[in-house]
Amino acid sequence: MYGGGNVFEATKFDNLQTEDPAKLAEFEARIARGEKIEPNDWMPELYRKQLIRMIEQHAHSEIIGALPEGTWITRAPGFRRKMAQMAKVQDEVGHAQLLYSAAETLGKTREQMLTDLINGKSKYSNVFNYPAFTWADSNIISWLIDAGAIVNQMANAKGSYGPYSRALERICAEEAFHLKYGHDAVVHMATGTPKQREMIQAALNRWWPPIMTFFGPSDKMSTHTETLMRWKVKMASNDECRQQFLDMYVPKIWELGLTVPDPKLKKNMETGQWEYTEPDWDEFKRVINGDGPCNAERLAVRRTAEERGAWVRRALLNPKAKYVKPLA
Amino acid sequence: MKVIYLQQLLTQLKLLTNITMLKSLDPRVTRLNLPEGEMPPAEPKQELDQFETYEAFHQKKEGTAHTYVGPVHAPNEDVAFLFAKEQYSRRFPCVGLWIVRTENIMVTPYAGDQENVYDLMRLEEPAERSEQPEPYEIFHLKKRGKAHTHTGRVMATSYQEALHEARTQFGEKGPIVNVWVVKSKHVLQSAEEDKDMWTTIPEKKYREAIAYKVMDKITKYKEENKTTA
Repeated sequence: MYGGGNVFEATKFDNLQTEDPAKLAEFEARIARGEKIEPNDWMPELYRKQLIRMIEQHAHSEIIGALPEGTWITRAPGFRRKMAQMAKVQDEVGHAQLLYSAAETLGKTREQMLTDLINGKSKYSNVFNYPAFTWADSNIISWLIDAGAIVNQMANAKGSYGPYSRALERICAEEAFHLKYGHDAVVHMATGTPKQREMIQAALNRWWPPIMTFFGPSDKMSTHTETLMRWKVKMASNDECRQQFLDMYVPKIWELGLTVPDPKLKKNMETGQWEYTEPDWDEFKRVINGDGPCNAERLAVRRTAEERGAWVRRALLNPKAKYVKPLA
Repeated sequence: MKVIYLQQLLTQLKLLTNITMLKSLDPRVTRLNLPEGEMPPAEPKQELDQFETYEAFHQKKEGTAHTYVGPVHAPNEDVAFLFAKEQYSRRFPCVGLWIVRTENIMVTPYAGDQENVYDLMRLEEPAERSEQPEPYEIFHLKKRGKAHTHTGRVMATSYQEALHEARTQFGEKGPIVNVWVVKSKHVLQSAEEDKDMWTTIPEKKYREAIAYKVMDKITKYKEENKTTA
């Protein structure tokens, strides 16, 4: 699963004038021809920084996203669901490993990324700062958060950076199981007893507002965004992803007789666009900056795992080891 | 004599736990006894806290070439093998796995998708051989964004000579974007007699998308609720 909603702010590296014009032209021509960029290629600083940031956030989202669902492994109803939930959580942690490696090829070490995560310097998908109160919450995450993630990842897999595309190809294949598993779990509840229906509706009501912020606020169209789109770093606008998600999943929610807690939600048949209540972006900003119901817990869990496992890693470390970044 | 009442004690205990321990909806998290409140920033992780890197090559089917599948971080070759098996063969068919320390892979420059990288390199004619030649494994990348595939083995006394040999033997056909050269002795290979380690996949249908069939339930639900809808 993935947290979308990358906010691509301009950075001080935005100034392309400092780049070698001949190399920049060659780089852009390669992307225009549809060729992928590989780690050893020359690349503009802006390209490198934005990709590190994006892939790193994606990796953190996988590893933190495993926490609200991991919570439910021991309490999953039935052996088969426990096994499936476990397999899914293991997949997510595996995705983090793949993504950390892809980011590493750009020059940031896994040690630096983990330190930045624990210290709150790098972000992860904001939706994971909300709790999974019941088993039904876990089902909604498995289905709809993963659905959102797939919309995002399918777009990003067509991006220009080779290692990220390779990782996403594997990730998307595994996500297909997550989506079906989540849908199955939600359908089971929605077509079950009145109590089960009530539970899944309550979970949907809790998760809808975070889901609507999942893809991030509308992009400000700037030369910066245009550059990143031309370089195939950003593959679709946040609003395009949100529209695609609504198109694919609102009908599937409605066919189960569930309601979406937004009275304004409807598809405008003339424009073909979904209309909805604007998500609370002030809350989004507040939570992403640390003040959400689970921020402290998520980071404390991650930090404790790192700290309590440190002696094992130290004991295993080969004194002759030498760091070389992964090749591809 | 000092008397402390049980009620008092409980209140104190409760206060204490409320103040110092992070309470969670997750029973596992509560059991971790995590401290609550602001923690001082964590010290930056030490270099090599996450170990060195290894590259993994998997074989999807009997008789096919080993193909690059991705890196792992591990403290040694054996653990790298276990991590790679878990990471890369857990969900996809696999009948063989090779592990190489990243450091032991010689990488040529990258060419464009329409080019042959052998044409862009100046490869010296090998000099008189002073040492015994040893086997090297050659991997080609045919297209950017795809994976390096094992092309074959050559005998040589150096990486440069191995590249020269590889060009003669495999370098003629089509675009070749990049070449990796590895001494055969640096490749840890899964053993032929351990083949049964790859046979667990079919037992785990619950982690395949195909195991989940929801349409029947949805159709039934819709049928039953037609009148009320």
